Amino acid sequence: MQTLKKQLLTLGAESAIYIVEYWGKTLALKWRPIKPYLHNEIDKLLRTSRTSRECKMLTFVRTLGVPTPAVHFVDISHHLIIMDFIEGQQLKQLVGVSSKKRIASLCHEFGKLLGIMHLSDVVHGDPTTSNVVVDTQSKMWLVDFGLAEKNATIEMKGVDIHLLRHTYETTHWDLQETMLESTMDGYIEVSGDAAEPVLARADEIRERGRYH
Amino acid sequence: MSLLCLGLEGTAHSFGAGVVSSKGEVLSNVWHMLSPAEGGIHPREASRHHSDMGPEIVKRALDEAGISHNDIQLVSFSRGPGLGPCLRTTATMARTLAQKLSVPLIGVNHCVAHIEIGCLESVFEDPVTIYVSGGNTQVIAFAGGRFRTFGETLDIALGNMLDVFGRTIGMRFPAGPSIERTAAKGVEYHQLPYSVKGMDLSYSGMLTAAKKLHLEGVPVADICLSIQETAFGMLAEVAERAVAHTKKDELLLTGGVARNNRLTEILEGVAERHGASFHRVSPPLAGDQGAMIAWTGILQHQAGDELPISDSHVMPKWRTDEQDITWRCKL
Repeated sequence: MQTLKKQLLTLGAESAIYIVEYWGKTLALKWRPIKPYLHNEIDKLLRTSRTSRECKMLTFVRTLGVPTPAVHFVDISHHLIIMDFIEGQQLKQLVGVSSKKRIASLCHEFGKLLGIMHLSDVVHGDPTTSNVVVDTQSKMWLVDFGLAEKNATIEMKGVDIHLLRHTYETTHWDLQETMLESTMDGYIEVSGDAAEPVLARADEIRERGRYH
Repeated sequence: MSLLCLGLEGTAHSFGAGVVSSKGEVLSNVWHMLSPAEGGIHPREASRHHSDMGPEIVKRALDEAGISHNDIQLVSFSRGPGLGPCLRTTATMARTLAQKLSVPLIGVNHCVAHIEIGCLESVFEDPVTIYVSGGNTQVIAFAGGRFRTFGETLDIALGNMLDVFGRTIGMRFPAGPSIERTAAKGVEYHQLPYSVKGMDLSYSGMLTAAKKLHLEGVPVADICLSIQETAFGMLAEVAERAVAHTKKDELLLTGGVARNNRLTEILEGVAERHGASFHRVSPPLAGDQGAMIAWTGILQHQAGDELPISDSHVMPKWRTDEQDITWRCKL
């Protein structure tokens, strides 16, 4: 791998993402480096399980019709994945620069993608606006599947919705009502009757936090 | 001439009184913690403790600061969140003092005070704060005029988990320090539920699993080691997400559990990885005490805040993100 030409794109909470030239293509390399401050057994377990999970879920979710980067290469022992590089902007970056109408329509689309996953009992696990990428052709992609899970219960789906709402509140407080409403519209449009118990559970989960 | 504020803290197990000047000098900081011979904290017993100990603690705070009650120009108190009976006892003392001395009364949010005293000590301007105590586990950052809770526990607090586990193995409240000492003798790591959901956490599953390990005869030192490593590792991940997400370059550790050295070491590592400065509040300012209430009272007063006695009801469920942080609006 030493011959790779690489450029650091982002240093996230648990991984570093590089842009690499490989097989004549521009791809993204996601690497989960050692965290020396953690107990080594915990660190190793997390890095291995999340790398493996991310590969599987990126591919599985695409079969449901949710756009995700295709996985080209994986090295579990070095905790790295090479996948499509999606050139675009995070939904998080678009809020504040795009019009309210465009954000509402993007959130609607995001809600639909989440609804598709939930209908097939898959949760994303970290559905924040950082993990939604809108490419140069305005196509929406979901990324970062290290915390995603199959066979999701109502509780797990409720957590997904809770996290999404929480992101809107903490990061996009100015537009939170519009964003939540549009996302939920898209979500309910896809989920139908299946949405009701999940949303009720999300409310319940919120109440479990302190002082609600 | 700088302003002197007397701050009264009494949200849970501890009652404290502190005198702080508007220059940020902590002139005194006296507190007493209820530590029952067995069991946990009963709200009624704690409020009794506060009313019994309160007058003496206030007197000592004034004596140690070398001032008389007439030098006090402002009285602030922990208005919430916390245990109702404890809050009411403390509020009654604060109202009485403010009226007797004819000085303004300020109601302070306990969680916000933990952040502000940390900022005073560290000279941090705009940190991501990890606030961990017996009652709270929150990851907080300032944004849009409020301290926003980016992550928090969805069930029990980190300190509460440590206390309750400690109690099952015969440790006295608060159990955190004993668990830290015992963990240092641990050798083998046993896997415990690692429960991070976005930036939220859950500790109740870990508590149940740790109790189960104890019943199975796993050495206590190994369980303590495993609890600390797992629980603090989860917190590190959430802290890391918050730093990466907010792009802030200061990380502050505050609250009673900030006294834990292993947790400090882990969060120092997180800060280093992200090029952020790190500070943990010094032990006297880590737990619940009056100086933090006094200092935050001064900040609020300087921003024009004052609480009429008639509106000074306590707020047991006052969330961190519910208060407009007027004194930080320049940020």
